[in-house]
Amino acid sequence: MSELSLGARFRLSGARARHLVLGVRIVAGGAIAAFALSTPGFISPLSINALLNAISLIGCVAVGMTFITLTGNIMSLCLGATVSASALIFLASLSFGVFAASLIAILFGVVITAVQGFLVGSIRANPILVSIAGLSLLIGGAALITGGQRIYPSGEGLQMFKGRVAGVPVEALYFFATVLIGQLVLSGTRVGREMTMVGSNPRAATAAGIGTTSAITYAYVIAGACSAVSGILLAARYGSGDMELGAGYDYTAIAAVLVGGTSIQGGSGSVLRTLVGVTVIAIIEVVLLLRGFSQQLQYLITGIIVLLVIMLHTIGERR
Amino acid sequence: MLAVGIVLALIDQGGGYFFSLGTVFSVMQLFATFGLVALGLGLSMLVREFDLSVAGVVGLAGCIAVMTGVSNPWLGVLFGVGAGVVSGVIQGLIMTRLHLSSVGVTLGGLLTLQGLTYVLTENKTIGYPNIAVALGLNAPIGGLVSVRSVAVLAVFVIAALAMTYTHIGRDIIASGSDRRASRVAGLKTDRVIIGVFAASGASAAFAGVLLSYSLGAASPVALADVLPTAAAAAIVGGVSVVGGRGSPLGIAAGVLTLCILRSGLSAIGVEPHVHDLVTGAILLAIAVLDAPELLQRVTAWRLDRAERKA
Repeated sequence: MSELSLGARFRLSGARARHLVLGVRIVAGGAIAAFALSTPGFISPLSINALLNAISLIGCVAVGMTFITLTGNIMSLCLGATVSASALIFLASLSFGVFAASLIAILFGVVITAVQGFLVGSIRANPILVSIAGLSLLIGGAALITGGQRIYPSGEGLQMFKGRVAGVPVEALYFFATVLIGQLVLSGTRVGREMTMVGSNPRAATAAGIGTTSAITYAYVIAGACSAVSGILLAARYGSGDMELGAGYDYTAIAAVLVGGTSIQGGSGSVLRTLVGVTVIAIIEVVLLLRGFSQQLQYLITGIIVLLVIMLHTIGERR
Repeated sequence: MLAVGIVLALIDQGGGYFFSLGTVFSVMQLFATFGLVALGLGLSMLVREFDLSVAGVVGLAGCIAVMTGVSNPWLGVLFGVGAGVVSGVIQGLIMTRLHLSSVGVTLGGLLTLQGLTYVLTENKTIGYPNIAVALGLNAPIGGLVSVRSVAVLAVFVIAALAMTYTHIGRDIIASGSDRRASRVAGLKTDRVIIGVFAASGASAAFAGVLLSYSLGAASPVALADVLPTAAAAAIVGGVSVVGGRGSPLGIAAGVLTLCILRSGLSAIGVEPHVHDLVTGAILLAIAVLDAPELLQRVTAWRLDRAERKA
């Protein structure tokens, strides 16, 4: 039963609370949509493209982050670095051909996160600390290997990940594919469902015989794969890379996850919700840009709106 | 984890250059920079929350202090720390009144604060013309500490004393261990939480003010990387993410450990990227050693092997 409590005086419960929350969400969504549609230039190919581009790159990471959050491990601070590192590996392996390079990059992302996931899942190591450790190791390792220089493609084949298909940016296609696969894994496979259960109540899950270790490890693995995909797309977009590529992605990703309505405590949420979250944030950014707000104000307003939307979501949740 | 700190010191000593006065000074300077942020973050972790906004408070407070403290530095301190307190109280109120989780609220807070900082500074770096303050803060005293690090140490001591000798400490740990039980026992957990966030805001703000003054400038992107380091410092210092465990002295130890690590590595001439590798490796080791189920897993694994042999 959900409870809505705005201080001691306002107390609603049960169906009324749910209806109120749903109503507010619809109104808020409508407001954002109206705001967007009424902005001159929003429904133009240029801005739609910008929108799709923004969504695709950060969206992949957000999808990955969703899995980690769902299993109750809050967030990972090293996905951004994983993006950058995968991009570097991709560029460097292009001499083996595009497909091989993509595979290697994804494998790399998977291994990095799998180790973290295994540590978090098997011995319940602190997920934040492990991700920070991973972050440091990635940055240090990359600096060691590249000597701080930009990495350039070692071969041909970037075209696969650039350009348009039927007017839609290719990156968007890859992103939507990622979303689809992610959601299917989450709701359609046993492991996916186990992840949500583990996040909801780890002890009950273990008691019920669910392999908590493997569920959490797989969640991290998916996050790594998604980050690698984002890295590949970024590498293709910019044609070269360094570790700055994915910097800051972690915070935007977790913001997207939370704005979409996935619970930070785990156990509730979905990849589709994250899709909504990424879209909302991107729409707000593009709209603010089109309406001529200065870059600073854009940042500020986006932050405030993120805060409000997150508040909106969690109001309906029980503590 | 204090043992880890000692081991670190021993390893570093192998380099020979470690125990020079210069190194201690640079350690203390680093400590002054990160210490208070880690304290703020650690305090929020004690009550089972996570104040992501400390990174934003540092920047904002620094900018406010620089902008308002030109004629009188103390005015800048007042406004800067005040801003931190206000941000903490607002977030705390949102969290307790609306029963929200801290990560979401402080994430929004972080973005908002960073945005505010950008707006205030119009995305330029603001210089702080009062050079006397800048130099005075960082001048070495006895070769070991500076006014800045002494100030930070003082805050830690005050925090530790408050936690140990007043009911504040008990209340914080109680709220962190089991909020519902504490509330049932009559503790006003809401006030504790708001207070903790006000304190963490103030702490981070003070750090920002000190840093901006000593750098002679405030920039919107100052210390964007501070969160991972502060979180690592708090966790290494024994604060548990699920609350109820930890202390200001522990946090100080954690910060010191990381600072010693960084300074020590520089002192023995190690290149920057190896810093990160070593830091990462050590953090990983700590994460593994500190993991709650490590013993269980190892025992289970051993039993498994023994069974199979039999």
